[in-house]
Amino acid sequence: MSAQGCQVTEDQVLSYVTGDMAGTEELEMSEHLADCAACRDQAVDYRLLEVCLDQVTQGDAVRWSSFESPFGTMYVAATEAGLSWVSWRQPDDDALLEVLGKRFPGRPLVRDDAALADWRTQLSEYFAGERTSFDLPVDLQSLSDFERAVLEAARRIPYGEVIPYAEVARRIRKPRAMRAVGNALGHNPVAIVVPCHRVVRSDGKLGGYTGGTEYKRKLLAIEGRLDLLLAG
Amino acid sequence: MTPVAGASSEPDVEAWAGAYAPELRRHLTRMLSSAADAEDVLQQVWITALENPPDAGPGSNVRAWLYRVATNRALDCLAAARRRRQALSRRDPRIATGEDTPVDAAAFALGEKARQKVRAHCAGLPRKQREAVWMRWVEGLDYASIAERLDSSADSARANVYQGMKRLRSELEDLWTKEYGA
Repeated sequence: MSAQGCQVTEDQVLSYVTGDMAGTEELEMSEHLADCAACRDQAVDYRLLEVCLDQVTQGDAVRWSSFESPFGTMYVAATEAGLSWVSWRQPDDDALLEVLGKRFPGRPLVRDDAALADWRTQLSEYFAGERTSFDLPVDLQSLSDFERAVLEAARRIPYGEVIPYAEVARRIRKPRAMRAVGNALGHNPVAIVVPCHRVVRSDGKLGGYTGGTEYKRKLLAIEGRLDLLLAG
Repeated sequence: MTPVAGASSEPDVEAWAGAYAPELRRHLTRMLSSAADAEDVLQQVWITALENPPDAGPGSNVRAWLYRVATNRALDCLAAARRRRQALSRRDPRIATGEDTPVDAAAFALGEKARQKVRAHCAGLPRKQREAVWMRWVEGLDYASIAERLDSSADSARANVYQGMKRLRSELEDLWTKEYGA
């Protein structure tokens, strides 16, 4: 593995750089690195790799957290750019990590309660009826242009108001794309924050909701739309 | 009389320097092939010792600690030098001004193309290796915690870290050894 004539293995060099060595062994490796150019080169490679990983992962990390909500355990996740995931459909952390892993392939997933504290607060306030809009950044970059346009349009629907799918399609200037609009709303990764629950059918029925229609009804009830409680 | 097991909590950096500066200087000069660079790194070692002193109580090994800091700093210095050479070979105008690059491997920034490459290779690792590498190198977890999260033994957590790192090193070597087109 290592240099010609050198008994030190790459694993030992790695162990030194990783900080797994201690005591005499570590001291001897320090001495060895001063003398053996090949092992030194390996150690330098690992230092550089560490810096590369650090740069890529810090910027790429998807940070997540959870809190208890009236809907059960609520998971939230954010990239550097903003909130990118809100869901109460995952039964546990493992299920969340699996979903996030598919949505953000290759990006590190880190539990970071502090980074998401403001979002947890704002969502809790929403559930308590004390908040009518969210004023923190949202990151929809992982979506297609079409999906993003649909969600941006949905985001502008005021608290407590509902509009039909067809109206959303009209607002993004794709009046015939109603079905696609419905699909895009159904894949909204930041439920509640982008209020796709405020988009309903034009016949007065509530229409579907990925989290379950009963949640759509509950969200609209929080927003004071008790008139929609009985809608189909 | 070795200035190791001082009763005071204040780091006696002056005493350490008196006792260990000559051998550390030789050690660093061997690593860096440059007396001037060795002196720079040695100064950083004393600064580190002042700002973030090692445990100097009974049973501790200040000499080993100093060697570790010195060696890691020297490796950073070599890593920065390698990046500088690589940047020069690309004729990066910002680097070619003759300014001193700080002795710090973090002194380089990866371009977007290089980032994508790192990402792609990380994503290509088997899942356990990828997660183990991340937890160890980025989150700084110990092997027991990694093992718990990966539902494996500490030995296998460590093996996953090492396998992942070795694979990344061989796959990503050209990021810093060869020209990497912008």
